[in-house]
Amino acid sequence: MTERGAARRPDHLSAVPDAPPGPATDIGDLVRAVARGDEPAFARLYDLVSPRVYGLIRRVLRDPAQAEEVAQEVLVEVWRTAARFDAARGSATSWIFTIAHRRAVDRVRSEQASSDRTMKVGVASVETPYDEVVDEVAGRLERRQVRHCLDDLTELQRQAVTLAYYQGHSYREVAELLKTPLPTVKTRMRDGLIRLRDCLGVEVTS
Amino acid sequence: MTTTDIHALVGAYALDAVDDLERAAFERHILACDGCRGEVDELRETASRLADSTWSVPPPQLRTDVLAAIGRTRQLPPGESARPEPDARAAVSRWRRYTAGAAAACILATGAGAATWAVQEQRVRAKNTAVAAAELREARTQAILAAPDLVVRTAPMIGGGRVTVASSAQQAASVVSLRAERAPATDRAFQLWTIRDVAAPAPVDAGLLAPGEASAAQIVEGVPGNEVFAVSEEPAGGSPQPTQVVAQVLLT
Repeated sequence: MTERGAARRPDHLSAVPDAPPGPATDIGDLVRAVARGDEPAFARLYDLVSPRVYGLIRRVLRDPAQAEEVAQEVLVEVWRTAARFDAARGSATSWIFTIAHRRAVDRVRSEQASSDRTMKVGVASVETPYDEVVDEVAGRLERRQVRHCLDDLTELQRQAVTLAYYQGHSYREVAELLKTPLPTVKTRMRDGLIRLRDCLGVEVTS
Repeated sequence: MTTTDIHALVGAYALDAVDDLERAAFERHILACDGCRGEVDELRETASRLADSTWSVPPPQLRTDVLAAIGRTRQLPPGESARPEPDARAAVSRWRRYTAGAAAACILATGAGAATWAVQEQRVRAKNTAVAAAELREARTQAILAAPDLVVRTAPMIGGGRVTVASSAQQAASVVSLRAERAPATDRAFQLWTIRDVAAPAPVDAGLLAPGEASAAQIVEGVPGNEVFAVSEEPAGGSPQPTQVVAQVLLT
């Protein structure tokens, strides 16, 4: 954008908008309200986190129908166990995604046990145009920061972290896929996450 | 498995890349190693940030199903893992104290790997301002795109490509995505406009792309509330009024 263009930028085009209007939107506050049985707070929490919960699970499982099923289990689990969220151990967002990721991975493992995962490929390719459009719009503004930080990792670190997180592989499977000794994979997962932590500026504070 | 061996699983554990036996063994290990807990919590927190890039719109039925399901689901009381809510400031300083302890403990426990900790503490937060701005933008985008009244409209661009406007009246804002097949010349730029009254059009500037830029995604506040969203191609500095309109999206 040229200087002239920047100077003319109108107020209503906000690069850094204020917090959205409306009632409390802090995820931690909402989880605490949910812990007291506040159903409207849960509905607001749903609106804030469900796209990422569903997106994460869908990314790991691929199959939208299964993703929907697991997402429902996860979101109900958030309701059920909200009182056990401990802010001293991390953010509420992380608590929710930890539950979501664990459930998605559990599903992958149990699927592998029954080995019918390939049967679902046909279903996975069905997506509504609505999804595609919205995903495209969302994708353009997002993903930059995480991608940028993933690019900061060494090739092996990135592969170890993403194969485990996005595809639900165990570190043994990752070692096999990357033809790399087990201890090396364990180390790369750890130092890869440490480097990501620093790049993303993650701190555990409540 | 020795303590050293088991602690080396901290990354795999945070990524859920361990099997059930290893998970149980690791959780026993961190109960016994208080200094390790800070590292585990932080790596978990970091791993969950990877979910930032997995945004996807859930089917509307999911909301109905989940809200119905919680109506018949009994909540658990606070358990052992739920401690009283600490004051945020105290939590930070406590965290810092025990991070220092954890760094020492983990270097002793595991040797390599943990030694990078202290070094990386130094080179940390330069990017934070840009990061905070990006996070706000992401949060705003998500709020708009997740709004229950979201309406998505698209229109083709003259010369190829399309403009998508995803609008929420509740959020009083739209997310505009533009992708032209052909980039403008380097001394030309796409400019965005909102037009409130089609009968007596008075286009209002809604942003200017960089010269030669063919694609962008932008939050535009106050739209809908406008009847037309338009894109024009202009000289690099933009124009006070659109001169060469290349796309229009009707919002009503």
